[in-house]
Amino acid sequence: MEPSTALGFALPIGLGIAALGSGLGLGKAVSAAMEAMGRQPEAAAKIQTAMVIGAAFIEALTIYAFVSVFVLQGKI
Amino acid sequence: MRGRVLHERPETHENRAPCAGSRRARRQRPACALLLLCLALLAVVWIGPAVLLPGAHGERAATGSQPASANPPAHATREAHASQSAPANPGAHPTQEPHASQPAPGTPGKPAPSHAGHAAAGHAADEHGAHEAHPELPNLIGVLYRAVAGEEGAAPGWLVALHHFEDLFFALLAAGLLILIVRLAIRRMNPRDPVAPQGRLQTAVELLFGGFRDFVLGILGPEGARYVPFLGTLFLYIWCMNLFGLVPLMKSPTAVLNTTGALAVCVFGYVQWTGMRRLGPLGYLRHLAGDPQDLVGWILVPLMLPLHIISEFAKPVSLALRLFGNILGEDVLLGVFAGLGVAALAFSGLPAGLPLHLPFILLALLMSTVQALVFTLLSTIYIMQVLPHDASHASEEVGPQAAAEEGTPAA
Repeated sequence: MEPSTALGFALPIGLGIAALGSGLGLGKAVSAAMEAMGRQPEAAAKIQTAMVIGAAFIEALTIYAFVSVFVLQGKI
Repeated sequence: MRGRVLHERPETHENRAPCAGSRRARRQRPACALLLLCLALLAVVWIGPAVLLPGAHGERAATGSQPASANPPAHATREAHASQSAPANPGAHPTQEPHASQPAPGTPGKPAPSHAGHAAAGHAADEHGAHEAHPELPNLIGVLYRAVAGEEGAAPGWLVALHHFEDLFFALLAAGLLILIVRLAIRRMNPRDPVAPQGRLQTAVELLFGGFRDFVLGILGPEGARYVPFLGTLFLYIWCMNLFGLVPLMKSPTAVLNTTGALAVCVFGYVQWTGMRRLGPLGYLRHLAGDPQDLVGWILVPLMLPLHIISEFAKPVSLALRLFGNILGEDVLLGVFAGLGVAALAFSGLPAGLPLHLPFILLALLMSTVQALVFTLLSTIYIMQVLPHDASHASEEVGPQAAAEEGTPAA
């Protein structure tokens, strides 16, 4: 297989796998945060802050994949 | 109205300065104005690309609805640009082929770029050419450059330079805009009585500032007040630059790795400097060694020290990449769908397009705010980690005042 063809297959699929993983992670994190907020509404601001930080870290993984797609895009 | 505003006041944070303009703070007004502004922007935004997307018609009629090749003249421009800047930086990315070398199959409308000069231009496809390779909404400088330079790329030198440094230009524009707004806001402020309300703009700016200050103090504790200026500037600057991508004829400077990298380096330097200043040189080294408390801790120092140093350097990299990737993705999404909208109406020959990217503008508004907030929040956390009492109070004060921290939008 040509390297460019391989890249053309691998980049979107890799991005999709990364998005799948961080989607699962985000779902878990946000559902736990929502549960905690429902149980303890007075701590909602703290929980939300922590949730946003965690979500940023999880989402960063997809962003890395996304950036690498853009870096390699010119080689397709 | 007055009674209601006064009634709201006791809920706010106690050590907040007496809210400027609480006597006649019509809190709804700034929000309404902002909303109206946003709606007006949205109305303008979807017309802009239709008219300005280069070569929207003719080309499209030939190519059919092929969004990937939304702006063929941009390819030509980029080539011209690359060949112009060829003597300046030869072989910056020798392996980087310009995106234009990938002609979408079956695009007869592509204005045949000089394939002879292509090989030469290929070597000069620097990073600038690379990041222009994806579809994006047209911006002021790009349109000007294309109008002046035409197909053969004969533009005056200053325009070429401006086109090359357009991200810097828009970043400076954002900074200038912020300075102007704040200057206007505090113009009538009385130094002897700084809390006296003067005008709506000042009230709005102070509301934003107060909310952000409470937000930072809620994380860093009462001594975090000295970090509010840096973090607030960071937030407003990034927010403004992110939103620039939604303004017609503007471009997000944060969609380029250079800008976000510079911001992340600023945060890195500031955090390290804060750590050295607050912990002392020895304390800073001890912090880098993982704060060893007992014998096991000291034995683990050779392992922990490199780990901590690496993680310190990983922080700015992840900050920069996160902001860059998010904003770039947002802009590319808008560009692709705007191109699609123009392509959908290309058969009519009218200078118009379907506003297909309208829903994504709403998404982008949200994402711009969230990403600016996340960048600032992570910087705050990094500062918190190098403060002497790290992580001790963050978990303690989930108390009644936590509700008062909800000051910033869309946390």
